[in-house]
Amino acid sequence: MNELMAVRGLTTLPVVTLGGDVVAHVKDTVFDASATRITGFTLTGRTLLSGPVPQDLPWPAVHCLGHHAVMVRGREALVDVPLSVARRDALRGRLLGAQVVTDAGDTVGTVLDVLVEGGTSGRLVAFRLAAHRDLVHGSRHRRHRVYVPRGEALSASGRTLVVPAHATAYVTDDLPGFTARAGARHDRGRGVLP
Amino acid sequence: MLFSRVRGLPVLAPGGADHLGTVRALTVDAASRTVTHVRVRRGRLRGEIVLALGAVEAAGPDGLIVRPPDGGPSATPHHDLLGSRVLTECGEERGTVLDAAFDPADGRIEAVLTTFGEVPGDRLLGLGDHALVVRSRRAHHL
Repeated sequence: MNELMAVRGLTTLPVVTLGGDVVAHVKDTVFDASATRITGFTLTGRTLLSGPVPQDLPWPAVHCLGHHAVMVRGREALVDVPLSVARRDALRGRLLGAQVVTDAGDTVGTVLDVLVEGGTSGRLVAFRLAAHRDLVHGSRHRRHRVYVPRGEALSASGRTLVVPAHATAYVTDDLPGFTARAGARHDRGRGVLP
Repeated sequence: MLFSRVRGLPVLAPGGADHLGTVRALTVDAASRTVTHVRVRRGRLRGEIVLALGAVEAAGPDGLIVRPPDGGPSATPHHDLLGSRVLTECGEERGTVLDAAFDPADGRIEAVLTTFGEVPGDRLLGLGDHALVVRSRRAHHL
């Protein structure tokens, strides 16, 4: 299963064992330093008021990431970490709100959401951006939300992501169209996205 | 035999003299795909007893004949199969459980009927406090 999923929608998803028990809920999604894939999740307790728990869920321990639950084999999949470490990792691995610029120096926008592949992949596929007004045409009074593919040559420095200039040619504001295009490129075996 | 048919049946001691109560629920071990216990409600103020399926001597549409319980209350964890949420091992919801068919002789679950269709018993993985987890056959189908 390689369906695209929005990372903001993963927050509050239950972490369910194959035995059918909920062990925690997702708090934050943590990405690696080069923004290539998910490295893990920070967690909250089972109830609304239980707050963060001093445990992490590393990506290798995830059995499958679905639209309604993060499946793990058992309770032993959770790894004990101090809360301070979990918070630090979550802050470092957070992409939401980061600036995106092209390698030519043009501002593309700010990351509103991140699209990842579900299932066992966890690969970062695209960003949903609040587009800079130079990127999209049309009314300047309207806020534009667009999808930009991650691209192979993305580099990250601090809170700024640098995408190749040609990646902005694939900008679209409709998710089904973006998904179809991404799927078509994948099927042709030339890599998922430019 | 269907879970929905068993629920509410009278539970009798051998000979039919002693009425122990009515069937409230069946406890399922989804990992081994079997019914392990029968939970019998004895009355409004008398609580319930838990009987191992091996204590059931005969099961029919008119009731269950069981050997009288000899031990104390069993501490087996119980989650109701009927009405539980169905989740594939890929984390996709597939409706809720409507009913299930099992073999009263050995307790083996033959099939589970969900709001999305029938799931063969050999695809059950676990039943917990959140959901019944079933093995995915294909990405988008039960």
